[in-house]
Amino acid sequence: MDYDVLVVGSGIGGMESSIKLADMGYKVLLVEKEASVGGRMILLSKVFPTLDCASCISGPKMSSTINHPNITTKTYSEVEGISRAVDGTFSATIREKSTFVDWAACTGCDACQLACSVAVPDQFNANLAARRAAYIAFPQAVPKKAVLDRAGTSPCIGACPAGIKAHGYVSLVRTGKDEEAFQLVLDATPLVGSLGRACYAPCESECTRGKLEGPVPIRLIKRFAADKHYEQPGEGPAIEIQEPNGRSVVIVGSGPAGLTAAWQLARKGYRVKVLEQRAVAGGFLRHAIPSYRLPQDVVDRDIENLLSVGVTIETGVRIENLQGLKDEGYDAVIVATGTQLATLMDVPGEDADGSMNGLDFLNEVANDRAPDFSGKRVVVVGGGNVAMDTARVARRLGATDVTVAYRRTRAEMPAHHVEADDAEKEGATFEFLVAPVAVETDASGHVTGIRMQRMRLGQPDASGRQRPEPIPGSETVLPCDIVISAIGMNPDQVPYGTLTGVVGGARVKVDARTLQTDTPWLFAAGDVATGATDITRAIGAGRRAAFMLDAWLHGTSMASFPPLDDQLPVVPYKEVLDRQKAFAHRDPVSGTMVLLPAPSSFDEIEQPLTEAEARAGASSCLDCGVCSECQECVNACPANAIKMDMRDVMTEVNVGAVVVSTGHKLFAADLKPEYGFGQFPNVITGMQMDRLLAPTRPFNTVLRPSDGKVPDRIAYVSCTGSRDKTVDNPLCSKFCCMYSIKQNQLIMGALPLADVTMHYMDMRAAGKRYDEFYQQSKDMGATYIKGRVAKIDETSNGDLVLRYEDIENEGKIVEAEYDLVVLAVGIQPNRDVEAMFRDAPLKLDEFYYVAEPSEELHPGQTNIPGVFVAGTASGAKDIVDTILHSGAAVAQVAAHLEHFTTDAEVLA
Amino acid sequence: MSDPTNEPTSGEQPERRIGVYICHCGGNISDYVDVEAVREALKDEPGVVVSTDPMFACADGTQHDMINDIRSQGLDGLVVASCSPKLHQITFRNVAKRADMNQYNYTQVNIREQASWAHSHDRAGATEKVIGLVRSGVAKTRLSEPLEPLVVETVQKTIVVGGGIAGLRAAVGLADIGIGVTLIEREAELGGWMGSFGPTFPNEAVGRDEIATLLEEIRKRPSITVFTNAELTSKSGSFGNYAVDLTVRASDGEHVIHDIVGSIIVATGFDAYEPEAGEFGYGIPGVLTLPDFKKLTESSSGKLTFEGRDVRSIAYVYCVGSRQEAPGNEYCSKFCCSAAIHSSIEVHALDASIRQYHLHRDVRAYGRNELLYSESREQGSIYLKVPDDTPPTVERMPDGRLGVGVVDVLTDNREITLPVDLVVLVTGMVPRKNAELIDLLKLPIGSDGFFNEIHPKLRPVETVVDGVLIAGCCQSPRTASESVASGLSAVAQSAALLKKGFAELEPLVATVHEEACTGCTQCISACPYAAITMINCDGRDVASVSAASCKGCGGCVPACDVDAIDLLGYTDAQMKAAIENLVQEHREKEPVA
Repeated sequence: MDYDVLVVGSGIGGMESSIKLADMGYKVLLVEKEASVGGRMILLSKVFPTLDCASCISGPKMSSTINHPNITTKTYSEVEGISRAVDGTFSATIREKSTFVDWAACTGCDACQLACSVAVPDQFNANLAARRAAYIAFPQAVPKKAVLDRAGTSPCIGACPAGIKAHGYVSLVRTGKDEEAFQLVLDATPLVGSLGRACYAPCESECTRGKLEGPVPIRLIKRFAADKHYEQPGEGPAIEIQEPNGRSVVIVGSGPAGLTAAWQLARKGYRVKVLEQRAVAGGFLRHAIPSYRLPQDVVDRDIENLLSVGVTIETGVRIENLQGLKDEGYDAVIVATGTQLATLMDVPGEDADGSMNGLDFLNEVANDRAPDFSGKRVVVVGGGNVAMDTARVARRLGATDVTVAYRRTRAEMPAHHVEADDAEKEGATFEFLVAPVAVETDASGHVTGIRMQRMRLGQPDASGRQRPEPIPGSETVLPCDIVISAIGMNPDQVPYGTLTGVVGGARVKVDARTLQTDTPWLFAAGDVATGATDITRAIGAGRRAAFMLDAWLHGTSMASFPPLDDQLPVVPYKEVLDRQKAFAHRDPVSGTMVLLPAPSSFDEIEQPLTEAEARAGASSCLDCGVCSECQECVNACPANAIKMDMRDVMTEVNVGAVVVSTGHKLFAADLKPEYGFGQFPNVITGMQMDRLLAPTRPFNTVLRPSDGKVPDRIAYVSCTGSRDKTVDNPLCSKFCCMYSIKQNQLIMGALPLADVTMHYMDMRAAGKRYDEFYQQSKDMGATYIKGRVAKIDETSNGDLVLRYEDIENEGKIVEAEYDLVVLAVGIQPNRDVEAMFRDAPLKLDEFYYVAEPSEELHPGQTNIPGVFVAGTASGAKDIVDTILHSGAAVAQVAAHLEHFTTDAEVLA
Repeated sequence: MSDPTNEPTSGEQPERRIGVYICHCGGNISDYVDVEAVREALKDEPGVVVSTDPMFACADGTQHDMINDIRSQGLDGLVVASCSPKLHQITFRNVAKRADMNQYNYTQVNIREQASWAHSHDRAGATEKVIGLVRSGVAKTRLSEPLEPLVVETVQKTIVVGGGIAGLRAAVGLADIGIGVTLIEREAELGGWMGSFGPTFPNEAVGRDEIATLLEEIRKRPSITVFTNAELTSKSGSFGNYAVDLTVRASDGEHVIHDIVGSIIVATGFDAYEPEAGEFGYGIPGVLTLPDFKKLTESSSGKLTFEGRDVRSIAYVYCVGSRQEAPGNEYCSKFCCSAAIHSSIEVHALDASIRQYHLHRDVRAYGRNELLYSESREQGSIYLKVPDDTPPTVERMPDGRLGVGVVDVLTDNREITLPVDLVVLVTGMVPRKNAELIDLLKLPIGSDGFFNEIHPKLRPVETVVDGVLIAGCCQSPRTASESVASGLSAVAQSAALLKKGFAELEPLVATVHEEACTGCTQCISACPYAAITMINCDGRDVASVSAASCKGCGGCVPACDVDAIDLLGYTDAQMKAAIENLVQEHREKEPVA
């Protein structure tokens, strides 16, 4: 047996059971789902009827629990299942939930909490205040260790092919940490400014806020951070660079994949050279994407980042053979040459004067060799992003008439729909279901038009899109002066064509996970291996290639690229939306595009977010994954204890007996809509009032939530959710009368001028010194009015009107006004136990509390031999009852264990 | 006049290294005392090397800080100024132990009950007092000596006093975990109240059957020895090893039986409240107490009759003997509302046509008992809330029936008279008369007359007498299953104390300086525990203290004319230093005569 006893739940019942059993010499395993032991009692202010402060009672018990030599405590862990073996022992599966913090290193210093950029409601303050995603449960937590609250990967991060932590930089900009946001993106790629413009933002498509008012403007927030960084004169980013490792890598191609790989490798200490065949680096960022979308100076600033980490870029160098390059002495080579070759239409007249391809055309324009299209009619053949860029550039060059001719319909166009829409807004027109047949020319060889074949959609092809089929005899001619084809592109095989096993079709053949080719020193990143994709995929591939190359050279694991392959599961939207009952409405923030019907300028068309827009947009983030992965805690932790790659650990233990001390839940007061909890801010629950009164109280005084006013008139509404068949709970919760009376007295102490009134049904002050405590409260001046409150309304200033029948005063219907109303919510069963026992189910009573089949003689005994229940898991109990009930369970656990070892007779 | 307070540290003593922790108690202290000022005032005291003011001294984090301080600063003295030592002396002694510092070099200064709570309207005064108290504690600590607890081998046996359901269940529970039991019952029969009961709330468990089950189980366990007609008449020794005498009444006279036990569980139960003559008509035929009424219903079958007449209507008067004005019984007896409701349901089962009125002062059918209350109302029982200040009256009416006068709150405080055949006085519990036992065991009694635990949440079944535990209704009114739970809790506590095999006793006992002792024997007469004897030492008769018997009460110390007795941990030198430091401020303020 690993342990004599497994105790599930470390509230007062679980701690009491554990300590007593451990004192008797038994080995106890105590499992607690929260990060601290202590349960609910440690969160209370004082406890009735002695008015001891809860911390003074509970705190030392927590300390005894955690320090007891016979108790092993697993906090932040859950019991997933318990099976009873034939020998009567139990095997339990325990999930040690990942805290993402190395507790052996964590000193509980608070630095992560202070640095964290995400705030969520603090369950340990009854949601009255906020806590951080990186948090220590509460000030007296035992053990005092931090936890990162991670529900999973935020959808925006999960959607990014570059593995960039979108949620992270959004949450940083939300808190004004713009430079940190820039640095977070910079950690993945030097191309922060370019991404802020040219990315198609798959993150925004997945944004949960998009299911409400509209997505967070994630890309523009990144641009905001980048612009802000680049505005400041500086000597490049303050990024961490490792010591030179003596190895050198050459990267062929200076597009996003190559530059990103270079950036990563240089920071790992490699000597990195980038070779570019064009005169200027930047690949398609510079030579294809038009500057009204991505200004060239932005690309230049991004590339300057690379220079600051020592990357050398040689331009105008065309590599004909990678083997030769390797032979120059590099340890490894990355080919990232992209897709340089335009696909031909393969129609007669394609080489006519006035016929060209889109890649060449965009390249010429980008390099100040733009043709004059004034008054020209242009037909662009194709439906991709290059076609859209081409059409829009053609408009800027003066073309009066630009037609985009595409062989399928708009729905099948590979271009991003925004690009197509914007092209149309800038005056381009579309001709769908036409395929080129021939470029028509005049006698001098000048283009006069393009002959097109009318098409229709047939059966879906391999891509799932319907295949276009010619409609026989339906050719037509689009008259024009210029034809630009943009129907596809392919890699240039020349550099690697002679290497065996490297060519796969036109592309480089790689292992998709490692991006390594069959020639081990050669890795390929980006479009050269995948065919044309987009900037995010290219960056993702560049990061992966750098990681794998480094792993290969160092002989470490190439099993996965953690930022993309080892993410937590993406949090489903529903889980995020269900987490909160209501959301503050947020007007969507989106960028402004200056789209003119006849554009003539190459100035950037998208306006940046103002600072206010950036903050407001970032503030609409719903923190889907809770932790935003912003890395602030990682950077702040002096003990280097944050471990984002930590994962849940499952353990199996064999135990002789089980104590279920899983406690209770409190009634969800919004199930009584007539009391307005959740709608009227000044209607709070008893637990919230206890937090307002506790020594670790969030606001250091008793105040009402709507306006922070210190209340003068406070009402209690007893039996909220108890003795109430309308909410399916006919039971009395036992402790609410008493905790209300306790709070009445504490309020009268804290706010001597306040009037305290309790509306009650029957004052259940049943217990040692309880009635005396009630009398004392009356003597102190609290008012007690018998009768159930029917309804609560709110006045315009946030005050509350209680409507009730005043039983003791002629049964009049009375409306009384208060500043603050406290609902004395009762107990509900914690149904987590239902699934815990795998083979022999734990018997519950009709109200879903753990059943005690012979309560009179065996309080704490359940239907399963060897399984005992302690505390409120079996029904309403106050703290004193819980402690005695736990003692009863302990005595019987011990008897059960003795029976095991001695086979003595046991009363059962 | 020289300042005597400086004497103890003026070079003759090795410099002590003391840590002082002044607790905020989360506001309980710091709201009324300037804790920072206290810390500042103490930090330069002789010997003080650490002076801090934690939010909660007892919290695990602070405990760790203290341990770190003790180790890193090499502390040899610890002063925690917080709450009563009753609450946390053990907590901080354990801190010292964990840091390998002698636990008796720790001093707890109570600045909460003795200052912040006592002087909540005088911050400056309270602060000044606290400075004096802590300074005094530091002075005492400067002279502290390391002491070792007295270790006593524990006897794996417990005596259970009382053979009601709590005591019987405790006996079985002890036997089941290998602890021998002597069970004594004053009456001739075991079973107590439950043994006389039929079906009980809330589960219809039959009291007699439950007791029979327990007696059968006791018979099966040879490690339980039962004595009826027996009382505890003598107790000596200490926790872990008590010598007790039982006096058993038998037909041939009384026998005294000696026994050795490690602990004592007192489960002596309760008495039912006996109304005074005329109290709610008590004495008039047809006015019954609840226990009597239960007997009546349990012996009835078919229909309910009283003295040959059919009972057609019943009025229950609640809170008889409970919730009275002082000097009566101010407490609520807790079980009686539910018990009365349960009886009314049984009456309904006998004869559904009987009209039943419940004259209550709030129905305290707590928890699951609410279901009984609902059932009873659904069956037609009428519940009338009676004003606290206008209790019902009971009279005999000319027709021989009983008239119950009641002010009914629900009908606009109308005075109505209910004609009924029976009046049931829902009587509560009162403490049993147990003067000899109380005196023998030094059992602490609360203001309500029931036995008092040390602390309802920290040590709910222990009394201030080590190894003497309480369970069941002798502690306060409760139900059968609650009594059993507390009985089993006492079992768990006994086992936690005894199973270790040894008990540690306080070494804070009297010690005799033999060279100074004159053998006058004054101390012997002062000792209430017979812990002092005369021994011959080098030809002289001198006093000698049995450490195991001495309770450290200190009664002998002032009795000694020649200051030959000291109480370890509270030596004369320590107490003088403590007092001098406590009054130091005032001494400096006032002109010296």
